[in-house]
Amino acid sequence: MRASFSFLGRGSWLARRDPRVPILAGLFFVLAVTQLRDARQLALVLGLVLIYYATAGIAWRSVRLRWAYLLVVIGIFAFFNTLLTGGRTGTFSNAETHVLLTIPPFGTEISAEGVSLMLSQILRFAGIAAVSFPMAYAIAPGDFGVALRRLGVGDRIAVMVELTVRFIPTLAGEFVETIDAQRVRGYDPTARGGGPITRLRRLAPIFVPVTVGSIAGAEDTIDAMDLRGFGVGRRTWSHELHFGAADWAIVAIFASFLVLATYLNLSGHSQHYLLPFLVSD
Amino acid sequence: MTMGQSEGTWSITTRVIVYAAIGAALYAVFNFLSFGIAVPWSNEVSVRPHYGLLTFFGFAFGPIVGFLTGFVGNALGDQLSNYGLFTSWQWSVANGLVGLICGLFPAWMASRMTTVGSRAVTGAVAGVVATVIGFLFIFVELITQQELGFNAILTTEYIPVIIVNSIAAAIVTPILILAWEPLREQLGR
Repeated sequence: MRASFSFLGRGSWLARRDPRVPILAGLFFVLAVTQLRDARQLALVLGLVLIYYATAGIAWRSVRLRWAYLLVVIGIFAFFNTLLTGGRTGTFSNAETHVLLTIPPFGTEISAEGVSLMLSQILRFAGIAAVSFPMAYAIAPGDFGVALRRLGVGDRIAVMVELTVRFIPTLAGEFVETIDAQRVRGYDPTARGGGPITRLRRLAPIFVPVTVGSIAGAEDTIDAMDLRGFGVGRRTWSHELHFGAADWAIVAIFASFLVLATYLNLSGHSQHYLLPFLVSD
Repeated sequence: MTMGQSEGTWSITTRVIVYAAIGAALYAVFNFLSFGIAVPWSNEVSVRPHYGLLTFFGFAFGPIVGFLTGFVGNALGDQLSNYGLFTSWQWSVANGLVGLICGLFPAWMASRMTTVGSRAVTGAVAGVVATVIGFLFIFVELITQQELGFNAILTTEYIPVIIVNSIAAAIVTPILILAWEPLREQLGR
């Protein structure tokens, strides 16, 4: 069992950028795209953000299952939303709906408005995934702490994130060792009998030693940090970050997009778009 | 006492940082492994036992540790699964709020927690109450995803999540408290 961060974008154009770039790009993009509703605008944005995605150099074969999973999940969720709302939400809250199909036995309606809303939702989520995947693959795991610090997050929180990143592979290893140790004592982690509560309680021999052992072991880390005077003065980071011209350009593009999306939202120029071919009568 | 730092509920001491990092790492690892126990009466809902870690860390070590365990643990769990930090940011905040609310209970209920048993019961109650309140945050999707209706969020997200997470919190939190208390006294915490 391996639990560590993938750095599949290593060496790509985006991975060579300052690690703050993918974080800021993701943040600005999420803030911007949640303000857009028009499926045409969202489709255009998705097309543009896929260019950014391509700069992370993520091999398609490595992520195709994740893309498929994400799109299927959001598709199912958006479909259920269409069934539950009947398309009477967002811009179409008070509009007369164009029913395309009625599903028995409850007469659940699938309307042109519902399908249009579903499309907006899927496009938005695909866009968010297109900026989030590079964040996962094109930032070196060891750069998280310093990137957060340089973004203005407090020293202690940045160190906490850095420690978390470092603890993850260690704790995953301890988890595997604990399962093996309990198995030697006759514990069967694959046992299926009993209800969910019984099975939850049966996991105690795994959860308890891993958790309590980790907390007890943390005392050494706390002592080591205290002995080095952690938290008594300004912390210095050995890893220096430099924002180059290309970094500024990417951040400026995403910041401009945020400004534009905010304008479109506030001025009412991004309403849900009713797909015309669904109401061609 | 940590060097040069006070130990109030809202202080970010070395101990808080390390416990939060351990909690977040455990939560991220278990989220990544994402093994759940299927609930017989539902189709796709499963109880995630590791959810009890979040409520335990909040209850045992305070609101800051609880918030960071939930927020950072969930976000890094997404990152570890290669979906990126922001893909489900609202769920990360909701998890953080659950940990934070759990961490407030020991201060509110201090007079009632005189024995280890009463601490365990209070921990279970805190976990359930924090789950019900903390996950209200996901209704922010009414703003961030305006296609979603209130009923859709309520029936497809909020209710299933609070049912399965409350089960996990009510069972796993007291088990961890009962295991941790003797060690805590031994360590003098």
